[in-house]
Amino acid sequence: MNHAFLLELARVVAPGGLITEASDLLTYESDALVHLRATPDAVVLPRTAAQVQQIVKLCRREGVPFVARGHGTGLSGGALPVKNGIVIGLSRMNRILDVDIPNLRAVVEPGVTNLEITKHVAPFGCYYAPDPSSQVVCSIGGNIAENSGGAHCLKYGFTVHHVLGVEAVLPDGELVHLGGPVLDTPGLDLLGVLVGSEGTLAIVTKATVRLLRRPEKVSTLLAGFRSIDAAGEAVSAIIANGIVPAAVEMMDRLTIEAAEAAVHPNFPKTDAVLIVELDGPESEVDELFGVVESLCQGCGASTMEVARDQTQRERIWKGRKAAFAAMGRVSPNYYVQDGVVPRTKLPEVLRRIRELEARSGLRIGNVFHAGDGNLHPLICYDEAVPGQAEHAEQVAGEILTYCIEAGGAITGEHGVGMDKRTYMAQMFGADDLDAMQRVRCAFDPSGSCNPGKVFPTPRLCGEVPGPYRPHPVEQAGLAERF
Amino acid sequence: MSVVEPRDAAGVAAALQSAAAQNLAVIVRGGGTKSAERSSAAVLLSTTRLTEGIDHVAGDLVATVPAGATLAAVNSVLCRAGQWLPLDPPRSNRATIGGIIATNDSGPRRHRFGTPRDLIIGIEIALVNGRTAKAGGRVVKNVAGYDLSKLLCGSLGSLAVVTSATFKLSPVAPYSQTLVATVSDIRELGLLARAIAELPVAPTAIELQSPPHHLLIRFETTEQAAARQSERVRAVCIERGATCTILSGQPEADAWHAHESGVFGSEGTIVKLAALPTDVAGILDRIGTIVTERREVHAIIGRAALGIVLLRLGGTLDAQAAIVSDLRREVSERGGSAVLSSAPPQLLQDIGRWGPATDAVPLMRAVKQQFDPLNTLNPGVGAWEP
Repeated sequence: MNHAFLLELARVVAPGGLITEASDLLTYESDALVHLRATPDAVVLPRTAAQVQQIVKLCRREGVPFVARGHGTGLSGGALPVKNGIVIGLSRMNRILDVDIPNLRAVVEPGVTNLEITKHVAPFGCYYAPDPSSQVVCSIGGNIAENSGGAHCLKYGFTVHHVLGVEAVLPDGELVHLGGPVLDTPGLDLLGVLVGSEGTLAIVTKATVRLLRRPEKVSTLLAGFRSIDAAGEAVSAIIANGIVPAAVEMMDRLTIEAAEAAVHPNFPKTDAVLIVELDGPESEVDELFGVVESLCQGCGASTMEVARDQTQRERIWKGRKAAFAAMGRVSPNYYVQDGVVPRTKLPEVLRRIRELEARSGLRIGNVFHAGDGNLHPLICYDEAVPGQAEHAEQVAGEILTYCIEAGGAITGEHGVGMDKRTYMAQMFGADDLDAMQRVRCAFDPSGSCNPGKVFPTPRLCGEVPGPYRPHPVEQAGLAERF
Repeated sequence: MSVVEPRDAAGVAAALQSAAAQNLAVIVRGGGTKSAERSSAAVLLSTTRLTEGIDHVAGDLVATVPAGATLAAVNSVLCRAGQWLPLDPPRSNRATIGGIIATNDSGPRRHRFGTPRDLIIGIEIALVNGRTAKAGGRVVKNVAGYDLSKLLCGSLGSLAVVTSATFKLSPVAPYSQTLVATVSDIRELGLLARAIAELPVAPTAIELQSPPHHLLIRFETTEQAAARQSERVRAVCIERGATCTILSGQPEADAWHAHESGVFGSEGTIVKLAALPTDVAGILDRIGTIVTERREVHAIIGRAALGIVLLRLGGTLDAQAAIVSDLRREVSERGGSAVLSSAPPQLLQDIGRWGPATDAVPLMRAVKQQFDPLNTLNPGVGAWEP
């Protein structure tokens, strides 16, 4: 990389804010999807939006691509550096700037972690709702890029439902404000499309997030079942009874064993456990929780444990949230997938996964958000065995195909990133991808903001929309003219 | 003006392409509950024939619905399985799904369920290049690709024509009741709403209404839970000097119908204010002064705890323009807005639909340019227009 350019970057961020040493760059080679790696030419660590603007303007002048990075917990290679490009790390922009409890809003910088917001407002009886499993370490900027969900999004929605406004640096270096402190802002809802755009449209430098008041009552049930199918029936029965729980999570035997080995949540030794949580006003939760208990019993629950207090509830959730990391206890390596299927197709898709497990010879653990059909199959492999990592990747890809065939999606919350961009063409047609890339062209005509992610092939933004040919609709018999 | 009524998405795309090729403007129309037809339009594209195929998967709590179907028609199908699309915009027996998406319209129960933007999970659109495209899907949780469905919500038909959409649904609650609190001072509506919002209750609506000064708090849950929560709210209302009535059944339905009619039941300019929830009391105070001084504000309703207030104005256009400009000054200082949801063309021309331009306007213009480079679709509605 051009030395003069690096000097200019160094001047923007001041001492310690520019990383070019090979050994220091190692940290930034990948996000949490560690098998995809690339070395950036440099990493810059700005502290202000003005610095981000200056960096982006320098990149634009020099034609250098850039990748924004939060805390590197992404699971789809969304923050993978690009060739001849730089990484803009936002970890130093980590202040909570304002908390407005009466209006239930907080203004934060992108490097603030998800859980920090909740901790900060907990004394006021408030919390920030999206709760991805990585919430202790993942950043709000990253959550916005990925539209992160979590276990409680069945009732409370995703990041997009909890971010009211952002300040962002566009790929030309201009600062823009999308959304705002109030619920409706004039004009197009560009915030709605920015959230979940995986860092390909702009770099968020400030966000106004919505806070919620803690519900009066939270009731959590851990139920063991002798089969995944029986647990699935219980979920169907709950939904059919008009109950929308705050969370419904399911784990199979392999992930139960792994979690037990790692964090000892004292889960029953069964083929499946279901965690069902209801929250809200006490009068409502108490009445509906009784219904949930009897439905689980009716579906053959072999064990039932109701959390009596916060400690017990935290123990149950610890078992669930540790499931990914715990796989390390039962397998040297594992590959996480994130496909989604319509909830009613869960039994069918899980059966196909079990058949695939038998055929492939690789163990597959299943831990998933049963309420919304978001699967997280964990494919166990040993990278020391030649070819097994590639085999695991193929198996993961086959599971995505099952999800698409069942009418689902290739990613529920981890993002497409680099990991799944080739599968986009299985889920969407050329015209669908073209329409999406029109948004990209409006935000980033030069294609320098996290290039190569999300889309299988980039669209050339310089294309003039084709010459319109007269196409009389009457001729086609599709419409009539009066 | 010519009228086209395509029967399917391909027909819509073909009509758009044809109009664009002839450089004709297209006005898109659903149930006609909101759009003001403009004389410059050369083609009126009606979506009312796009009504086939409501696909409800009750076990997944989702439904895919055609853009031309009315909300009432959709919900009459969904309720057979005890579910509904939890939106209650005005005139829902005539308002179409496409129109509701284009305006991101909602009603009192936005308090609990949000707007179309919060419920939409997939979309199919027809573009002016003659193509159709989809985004999202039929599963609630899905981050594959850009979420065009949210971009289309509230875009006023300026980017593409929605031909069908998929929504997440809610179960229909077994019971509903509404507590009507009457207060003597308009400002108290905002203050009382805030006090209620801090209680550990989960109403589906906290709605202000004036005149007379009413706050309507609705509970939709089990009968027992509704009764207990109403009681907690009633205690706070009484403490603050309000008088309370609890309604259920037909009287409750009638009260909500009358509530909507206050603003939407007759002709007039409709202004939507968006403000911080803590600013609602002050804004109501300001409006109260206007009402006392002059008579142009005919009715006020709003999502009291969310910071959304809707006004119906009458009187001369000059007087209306003065009121809206005054309110815009007041709310914009605190990040809020005053948008003309519905207004005579002359008023729109005089003071603009949206209010002061923001730094996002150039980006909005760029998005419009990408989707509709010849400005074929609903010209004149965008915040990017001069």
